[in-house]
Amino acid sequence: MTEAFPRSDSGSVSSSDNEEDNWLNKPGDEDDDEEQERISIVSLLDDKVFSDAPSMLAYCKDKFGFDFLAVRDRLGLDFHGCVKLINLVRKGVKSGTSLPTEITADHLADDSLLIPVLEDDALIFCLDELPELGQGQADAGAAAEGKEALAGTKAPAVDELLHKNAQMQAELEDLTKQFTNYRLAVEQTLDKRWGVDEEADKAGASKPGAVAAPADAEEPVRDDSAYYFESYDHSDIHETMIKDAVRTNAYRDFIYANKHLFAGKTVLDIGCGTGILSMFCARAGAARVIAVDNSAILDKARENVFRNGLDGVITCVRGRIEDVVLPVDAVDVIVSEWMGYCLLYEAMLPSVFFARDRYLRPDGLLVPSHASMWVAPVSDGEYVAENIDWWRDVYGFDMRAMQAGIYAEARMTVMPGDAVCGEAHAFRMLDLHTAKVEDLVFEDKWQTTLSDKVDALDGFLVWFDCFFGESREEVVEARLTAKEWAAGGRERVAFTTGPFDTATHWRQGLYLIDKTKAKEIEVGPGKKLAGEIRYSTQEGHARGLDIRVTWGLEGGDKQAQTWQLN
Amino acid sequence: MAGEGMEIEVAEKQLKSLDHSEQHYFNSYNHHGIHEEMLKDEVRTRSYMNAIVQNKHILKDKVVLDVGCGTGILSMFAAKAGAKHVIGVDMSTIIFKAREIVKVNGLSDKITLIQGKMEEIEMPFPKVDIIISEWMGYFLLYESMLDTVLYARDTYLNKDGLIFPDKATIFVAGIEDGDYKEEKIGFWDNVYGFNYSPLKDTALSEPLVDTVEMKAVVTDPTPVLTLDLYKVQAADLAFSCPFDLTARRDDFIHALVAWFDIEFTACHKPIRFSTGPHTKYTHWKQTVFYLQDVLTVEQGEKVECALHNRPNEKNKRDLDIKVEYRLETTDPNRQAGGTCLYKMC
Repeated sequence: MTEAFPRSDSGSVSSSDNEEDNWLNKPGDEDDDEEQERISIVSLLDDKVFSDAPSMLAYCKDKFGFDFLAVRDRLGLDFHGCVKLINLVRKGVKSGTSLPTEITADHLADDSLLIPVLEDDALIFCLDELPELGQGQADAGAAAEGKEALAGTKAPAVDELLHKNAQMQAELEDLTKQFTNYRLAVEQTLDKRWGVDEEADKAGASKPGAVAAPADAEEPVRDDSAYYFESYDHSDIHETMIKDAVRTNAYRDFIYANKHLFAGKTVLDIGCGTGILSMFCARAGAARVIAVDNSAILDKARENVFRNGLDGVITCVRGRIEDVVLPVDAVDVIVSEWMGYCLLYEAMLPSVFFARDRYLRPDGLLVPSHASMWVAPVSDGEYVAENIDWWRDVYGFDMRAMQAGIYAEARMTVMPGDAVCGEAHAFRMLDLHTAKVEDLVFEDKWQTTLSDKVDALDGFLVWFDCFFGESREEVVEARLTAKEWAAGGRERVAFTTGPFDTATHWRQGLYLIDKTKAKEIEVGPGKKLAGEIRYSTQEGHARGLDIRVTWGLEGGDKQAQTWQLN
Repeated sequence: MAGEGMEIEVAEKQLKSLDHSEQHYFNSYNHHGIHEEMLKDEVRTRSYMNAIVQNKHILKDKVVLDVGCGTGILSMFAAKAGAKHVIGVDMSTIIFKAREIVKVNGLSDKITLIQGKMEEIEMPFPKVDIIISEWMGYFLLYESMLDTVLYARDTYLNKDGLIFPDKATIFVAGIEDGDYKEEKIGFWDNVYGFNYSPLKDTALSEPLVDTVEMKAVVTDPTPVLTLDLYKVQAADLAFSCPFDLTARRDDFIHALVAWFDIEFTACHKPIRFSTGPHTKYTHWKQTVFYLQDVLTVEQGEKVECALHNRPNEKNKRDLDIKVEYRLETTDPNRQAGGTCLYKMC
């Protein structure tokens, strides 16, 4: 069957000119063996996602008492029949109408049921994976036809067989065409996913080769997550992340230096991206790695895994970790690169906690194991002049209107170490094995003693450190820097995103004080500042972050300002 | 002002009702950063300033339309140059900032700023004398507003009206870029010991917006598209152009680089600026198209090329680009040719 698929060109470059019509289809070096793995199968009756058809159908049978195979066998459905049955069920689920108690051939008479309800319904491709049509019925049918054929004289019987043969060949051709069309539809959908909102798809953006969702489909709830996941579809962001050697080296060094923690283990990689961490784990001897990501980059991860000969160890699953059904009940290690700007922006950590509580064995390990957050006062007149005061005179015009809101948002930037004008303060250490979602919304105290670098207090800088402990019992003291910890005797791995070391793609969060509103305080070397720092999530933008800092001279009045990370 | 607050709300609603890709396009202009980058691009902003402010005799008492006015800087230049009235139009909510800016600069009675799509708004003047616009995108045409400018021209420009700028040319040259190609493309061959070639294909198909040093340029530059803004039609933006690149020296060609020049020919003394590798940095940088092969060229040899460009069918602000190349030499070992497909998105 797989031979029937047209092989797409193996690269973006080709010397032939005969592909004028679709010369910009994404290159997809489809590998047939990979195909079964390539697509995630959405449950017929709810939103769960599975990596193969039989386990999805088993789930539907167990959970909802709907036995697809039994219905198929009872009605003796062929390929088209199965497609119709799938679409009948999906249509019912989508429109919220209940299915007939007993599905009959009449329910499947309508040819419009051949139009897929889900645009890239992986289930339809996997029909061939299902157990053969119940042998009894198929045999009975064939026997009956055979008898009929033999009833005539010999010559007409041969004619009839030839005729039948031709008919079947025509049918096969039809099926092949049908498959090709589906295949094209899926390719187009995947193409589109590289640049288009998944929600737009769900909301029924019509496409060639696929049917639009009903216009009255429920209004999609605006959840930023679709956009969030898409932002990871493109390879440049992955390039930035992989080329961030501080980040990637830390994971590599920890995993390769601690192969005993991975050898023979089952590992879960949450938000695997291109699959680099999963492949590190596989090389370190993991028995099995499950790599989960909800972005289209997962297709590239699969190819990467395949080309590196690790597809026997690593299983790639597309979906939200909260939705996917993993092929295992428990894992020994969870590895994840979940950190966002100022550590908690993008709010991926709750997903890691979810997976930890759901899948990690009681003695299992989280990689990394700890993370801490730092704040320090900043004084950098040059930065303020170039980025804030600049608007006062733009080609002779006053553009201070552009300054409005300039203080409302955190600015992600790499600051030079000498912009920091006082001791850095570690305000929170998270032990990731035990931390809870509630711990991510907090207000902590902070304090600093100003140094001789202080001219004026321009704002605050926030960054984080990350620690890779070798066991759950490992304790990282609250105020320890990554450097101090890494130097702690054994071969320890940790990294910082702070201003005194190599810059990372996380940069630092700069919170500029709005001097049009703030009271100026008398600063100088040796003076002590104290206050609180609060992290909270934003209403209506779950992945955003509000950060409020209060500050004042020790014993004096405090003032406050809130910044957003959007 | 309550009225303005409501207007912003309406504008935001209107933005939300657009196609997702369109929304993304307009929203990306709501943020400060991009306006800061454009204003701080001195080559760009100063060229427009000179073209407008040095030609007061042309702008005096004229009705001017600024298409995609952003922070309103070009509108203010035009008002300062003596225009009778300036209408600035922008879909992005940056226009509310522009209004504040125009007001504090005392130009509110000279400049009317309208939020909306050029194709949908109601113009306070039936015709205008001059259209000014900074519509250019990367590779001139990517995410460009040219079609909107053409709509404004066809709908509102007087018969003998002027367009600032009125001429744009895309140039292409071959470059030696071995080190960087290795870093950008070859990188994917070995990522921490793993084969990442699936991402290499993607990297090759995405033109790279970056600065190219003049010394990397191996061939003479060749124009592949010249737009006369008085005549060009939206359909002309899908184009095919055969051209030759002549090697200036013995070297290798890893990629083609493209850039554009912009001219204001209506000025008393024509003003032009270039975004090429031979001149000052602009925020447009240059656009690099890596070739699958490395061409080994000798001085004087010609590489026969063709460039085909068309807006993507699904998202018209994206571009589908095809480059064909063939090096014919007497040395059969150096002969090479191929076709590369790119997508700017």
